[in-house]
Amino acid sequence: MKALIRKDFYVLWKQMRIFILLVLVFFFFQGSFGSVFIVIWCAMLPYTALAYDERCKWDQLAAMMPYSNRDMVLSKYVLGWLCAGAASVLSLAAQAVLKNGDFRVILLSFCASVCVLAITLPLMLRFGVERGRMGMFLMIFLVCGGAGILAEAAAPDSAAALRLLPAAAVLGPVAAAVLTAVSIPVSLRLYAARR
Amino acid sequence: MNAIELNHICKSFGSFAIQDLNLTVPSGTICGLVGENGAGKSTTIRLLMGALRPDSGTASVLGTDASSPEFVRIREDVGVVLDEAHFPETLNALQVGKIMADTYRQWEPAVYEGCLKRFDLPERKPFKDFSRGMTMKLAIAAALSHRPKLLVLDEATSGLDPIVRDEVLEIFNEFTREEDHSILISSHIVSDLEKLCDYIAFLHQGRLLFCEEKDRLLEDYGVFVGTAEQAESLLPEAVAGREARDYGGVRALVRRSMVPESLALERPTVEEIILFIVKGAEKR
Repeated sequence: MKALIRKDFYVLWKQMRIFILLVLVFFFFQGSFGSVFIVIWCAMLPYTALAYDERCKWDQLAAMMPYSNRDMVLSKYVLGWLCAGAASVLSLAAQAVLKNGDFRVILLSFCASVCVLAITLPLMLRFGVERGRMGMFLMIFLVCGGAGILAEAAAPDSAAALRLLPAAAVLGPVAAAVLTAVSIPVSLRLYAARR
Repeated sequence: MNAIELNHICKSFGSFAIQDLNLTVPSGTICGLVGENGAGKSTTIRLLMGALRPDSGTASVLGTDASSPEFVRIREDVGVVLDEAHFPETLNALQVGKIMADTYRQWEPAVYEGCLKRFDLPERKPFKDFSRGMTMKLAIAAALSHRPKLLVLDEATSGLDPIVRDEVLEIFNEFTREEDHSILISSHIVSDLEKLCDYIAFLHQGRLLFCEEKDRLLEDYGVFVGTAEQAESLLPEAVAGREARDYGGVRALVRRSMVPESLALERPTVEEIILFIVKGAEKR
């Protein structure tokens, strides 16, 4: 699996340089918007790696190399977690330097990115990036929209939102863990079916 | 031990199907898989490497069933070169080497570096800027650098100019100097296979029409050139295929054992044998 993650990092390296620049720019935004945006955007990087794979038909060669289906699927999850994790660490570091925001917001955005990955990656692995993209946007829209509506209902003002933050900081990781635990076996099945 | 064994493999894709495919490649030999575009060569390779599951039948490589969980490890001993490099094109040769080092436990960096030098491949140039010949050489370098016992080559020489092709064929020849090294090479450039192979397997529309030792094939068949009347006097079962020529002449591929020894026959090439057999099969 290390080889597959290394390959994706090499492929994404150019994008990552742009990402680091964006991180620096977004850190100077007021509040946590910039950090949240960057963390969730980072969780999308596996799709870029998948698009490169599809373009060169990497799967055809990889299917004849000593990689199991499990390696192929898990490597994309791990890549997403690493990218979102790195963005979270950078965001926390920026928060510490600039003394703005709340670390729990970063934790929640990391959990949100893990949830988005868990919901959308099975579609991508089954249908490919081109066909899976519509499904991905629909899922992101539903997850983020649904979360927004719930948040609005539960916490109509920022003071109420702050009161909910401790509970959300516990529920977020639980939701991410549960969704991931369901998503990986589904992805494995869908990937095997695709092959 | 056989390097490759396919037993009664069937795989249907609706309009196309691999039908009852039996193919054996003994260890230490080179087998050429010939067939027109769409004959099922790449599908056969995907089936034997476990990349595709057959509807029925079994495939085994280096003594291990391709559908078994252990087969992932057996792939360590198989070097694969497909018709393209299939690595993301932003990578360079050095990065490909590092990825392969993490992939294969028996990866030998010195062998890979040696191959890059021998093939005159730049280490840091993204291979999207490589010519087709350079791309294929990179894929071959990667396939040869993890001590494989079997090379599986799918159209690895197509699209290469004759000089590079010759160079690549020489590398494959060198590979088989070790007695337990085997090669399965698919191509529609029959002259390449004639130079290289011990066995020729011929696929036509998803069926294996024959798999024979090349020398035996060339000994068994002869090309008869004469008049239509002379051709008519031959036993029908002796004629594997025939074609009309100008001025009432006929050219026919015949089985030497079934025609009189006194009959003058030309020595065919493998390409001629295949063309005649295809025409014969289509007429039937």
